This record gives sequence, structure tokens and C-alpha cells, in this order.
Amino acid sequence: MNAKGNAATQKQAAMVFDLNKCMGCQTCSVACKTLWTRAEGQEYQWWCTVNTLPGRGHPRDWESMGGGYADDVPQAGRRPARQEWGGGWDFNYDEVLHSGKGQSVHLQVVGEQPEWGPNWDEDQGAGEYPNSYFFYLPRLCNHCTKPACVEACPRGAMSKREEDGIVLRDESRCRGYQFCLEACPYKKIYFNFAREVSEHCILCYPRLEQNVAPSCVRGCPGRAVWFGLLDDETSPVHKLVKKWEVALPLHPEYGTEPNVFYIPPILPARLNEANDFEEGQPRVPTEYLESLFGPRVRPALETLSREMESTRSGGKSELMDTLIAYWWKDMFKPFDQDPGEIEWSRTPGGQPGQGAG
Amino acid sequence: MEAIKLQLANRTLLKHSSPQWKRAPLQDVALQATDTETQPSPYVRAVWAGKRVGAVPTISVQAAYNRQNLFFRLEWPDPTHDADYGDGLVFPDAAAVLFPGDGDPPLARMGSPKAGIDAWYWRANRDEGESLAFHGFATEEPQAAQFVVTSADWEDGRWRVVIGGPVDVATDHKRVAFAVWEGSNQERAGLHSYSPQWQELSIG
Ligand code: SF4
Ligand code: SF4
Repeated sequence: MNAKGNAATQKQAAMVFDLNKCMGCQTCSVACKTLWTRAEGQEYQWWCTVNTLPGRGHPRDWESMGGGYADDVPQAGRRPARQEWGGGWDFNYDEVLHSGKGQSVHLQVVGEQPEWGPNWDEDQGAGEYPNSYFFYLPRLCNHCTKPACVEACPRGAMSKREEDGIVLRDESRCRGYQFCLEACPYKKIYFNFAREVSEHCILCYPRLEQNVAPSCVRGCPGRAVWFGLLDDETSPVHKLVKKWEVALPLHPEYGTEPNVFYIPPILPARLNEANDFEEGQPRVPTEYLESLFGPRVRPALETLSREMESTRSGGKSELMDTLIAYWWKDMFKPFDQDPGEIEWSRTPGGQPGQGAG
Repeated sequence: MEAIKLQLANRTLLKHSSPQWKRAPLQDVALQATDTETQPSPYVRAVWAGKRVGAVPTISVQAAYNRQNLFFRLEWPDPTHDADYGDGLVFPDAAAVLFPGDGDPPLARMGSPKAGIDAWYWRANRDEGESLAFHGFATEEPQAAQFVVTSADWEDGRWRVVIGGPVDVATDHKRVAFAVWEGSNQERAGLHSYSPQWQELSIG
């Protein structure tokens, strides 16, 4: 791979989301939004989004937009239209709150009516009652090991940091040409129409440099997300991804080697006509999970079932203990510095301090 | 390329519709597409192979100067008015008057690391022009001195764009070329059309 950084870095920051624990509360999305994307041109940007699956996602039908690699060859991708992102709407707050019409007028989007948004098909899911099912999928930039975005930029404005593998953009070099956005198969880059530059998740690097975990991670009330360096054998991220191999990348076939991983969801088994659980008949079709997380789904599910069974029968399981996460701070050690104890300086862009959450 | 002297105010020359522009000789300049195989991004090379670049094949150019400034009046047909990023699916149209910064820079690659191209650059979503230096495709950097003035109008399927800058800067360069980026055809960075030969610029 080329010198721009399409090679594994010395160390790699990584995250694991447990889709059995994520409850779709969007605290992670909002923690990120309030910290990083409140400036002009960022109204519609949500660097972290949580969508219901099965569903069309955000931007709408992003999985059909191309990008990434096939056999190491860059694949054509397309940029989502503004309406496919949705969000960033103006509401009639003045009318509802200050015009005395609060009883007769309801809160609504002003101007062109939305067709889609960051969480549009929430809780729709799939399947027929009583075997209907859905789960939540939090998504952010995967800080890929082979970042298609980095390689696509003709100006060399993007790079992958050696010290932790975070994918960043030098905004002074970005001229808004958006090849990165086309090439990213996860559609996790936003164009800032006001500033004419592209923007994406920076994995809260100013926090990491102070040993503070990313805002989405610390914010999660469900203890559903772990953070650490992939090769740090003491990190739960290492244990879940490398040791137990139960945390899997989303769409590994896109060829960019993501560093955000997911514990596949196990819902109760299907109900039969007698309203009894049919053990061995998963409610979420395994083929569907394989279409998301690739061929390692079955072994991962088998490991999870085996370890669950062993604890049910009184045994001890390091895997189950890790997933339960008895001690919150253990989920992101050694990035467990309390942000409230740090004096934060303002970033040049005039962003608020990085101390929230 | 011949520039004629017109003793007129800057604002008059900057207006494409000023009747005095009729006095400046009009030259049709043929453009050709940049090569996709030599683009700096592997993504662009792979994805643009075989795609049509250079949607604008020819432009009409006039040039006139007063005591301080030299103005180029560019006109070309363009059925799509791309004055901004639209819904995110297009790019603003753009054009540039190119000068050899030093040596004999290759127009086909928008200069090289050793031989740069100085550009007076207009982009349809901006009121102000930009002075840029190119040392290869997509390498543009704003110059320390920003002096480019532009004005543009799109009407009845035609762009009429005036790009101006200090006449002494242009005189120093002696030669000139042109580039156009068609935003509806996804042209930006090293994907554009350009006039393949440097032309002598005669001022006087
Ligand atoms: S998810 Fe997209 S933007 Fe993030 S590193 Fe991977 S290719 Fe780049
Ligand atoms: S904060 Fe945690 S539980 Fe809530 S949506 Fe995000 S990952 Fe899921």
C-alpha cells in the first residue's frame, strides 16, 4: 500500500459496540453532536449515528453507494444528496413559542418537508409478529486500517496517525473536492457547505491525548461500548476482537479493514405456533447478520452461546464478565482520565472545550 | 492572444456587458480534457478511467487592459448553471487564466514540482477571485498576494466571466493559457479541460 498511510500503523485505536446492550438512546450521538458539530455548516452532521436494523440507515441506503475496495482496487462511490442525509432542519419555534399560537400550531419543519433523516426508520425493523425483530447499530468513522478516503484525496489532505491510527484531515489542505466522501464505503464523511471542506469523526483525539476516552464512549449509559488500543492485551477491546473473536467489523467485504467492531445481537429464539421458544431457531436470521458482519458471525455466535451456557451452569467466563462490564472505567482503561479534572483550552476553530461527558 | 488598450475604469472592464468589449478581438480557444491516467489519486485513476472529462471543448476569449489591470473576458455555452454545490451532487463551475510561473510548465499536468503555473482563478460560488499557484494536478495553493478580481453571469445557457489582475504581473509572464472546470460533470481538482498550448500574450 502507498506511503500515505494505507498500512497498519504502530498502534490502532479501536471500539467495540455490544449490539445486545445498545438500547438506541442516542446519548452517544448527542454527546458527539454537542461537542463537535455545533458550528455553521454542521447542522446536518452527526458523526455518530444510531440506526435501527434492518433499515435503510443514514444516509438513506448508504450500503448501495459504493466505495471501498474490491481485491484492493478502488471502487466507484457516490456522494449522497443532501436530502438523503436529511437533518439540519429549521423549525417554527418562533411561531409556536412566541406568537401566542402555541395551542393551534404544532412544531414542524419550515420550508421543504423532509423525506429522510438521521434516525428516520426507527424501530421499524423486520419480521412478522410475534417474531418481528430489530436492533440498533451505532456507527461512526471506522478509522480504517486501509482508509479509502485517505488514498482518494488528490491533495494529500488526509492521513492516518502513526501513534494511534486515527484518520484525520488537514483542513488547510482540503479544498472541498469530496473524493474522500465518494471513496468512503461507510458514508461517514460530511461536506460542510458553509466552509467548503469535508469533515468527519476525529475520534476525540484532543481527549485521547489527555487519556480521556471519546465522548460517545463515556456518554453511553448502557455500558455498551469499549474503547482501547487493539494490541493492548489488557484492553477489553483486544480481548473481544482478538482473543475471543466475538467482535466483528461491519461489512468486511468493503475492504477498508474497519476498527469499530460489533458483538452481533442474539435475540430470543423464534416463537412457534404454540407460543413456545424454538431453541436453535434464531429470530434474527443468521444470514442477515452474515450480510452485515461477514462469515465470522457463526463462530462468534457459537462462542457467545457456549460462554453464556457455561455461566448459566455456574461456571466462570472471562468473556461474559467482560461483556457485563462490572466496572465502568475498565471499559476504556487506560483512557479513564476524568475530563472534568482537566483544564481544556479552546481549539482554533472556536469549538467548545473538549470537557463535556 | 492580443490584449488591446481600453482607457476605461476597472468596473467598466470588469462588466462583461460593457459595450466597449466589442472592440476587443475575439479568439476561440480549443480546450482538451486532462488525462485521467496521470491523476495523483489512485481512486480518481481507477474510477475515472474511460469517463468523459473536459465537458467544455472551447471558449471565446477577449483581453483588454487599462493603466493598472488586464482583464480577460471568457464566454462559453453551458446548459447547466452550477453556481454552488446544489444538493451535494455537483460542483461550482470554475475557470482560470494560467501563466507560466517559471520555466516551461507542462499544461497537461497543471505544472510540475519544478515548474509552477500561476492561475487567476474564478469559481462560480464566490464573488472574489483567487491567485493560485499549481505545481501539478490538484496542488493549488493560494499565493501570498491575492489580487484577482472576477465577475460572472450565467444567462441563456452561457457563462460570461471576466477575470482581471495587475497588468504588470501579466506582462512579466508573457504567455497565457486557460482552464475550465464543468461542475455538473463532477469536474474539480485535476479533472478539467485546458488549452494545450501556451500562447504569446501581446499587450500593446
Ligand atoms: S470509515 Fe470512511 S472516512 Fe472513516 S477511515 Fe474508513 S474510509 Fe475513511
Ligand atoms: S449511548 Fe450506548 S446505548 Fe445509547 S445508543 Fe449509543 S451505544 Fe447505544
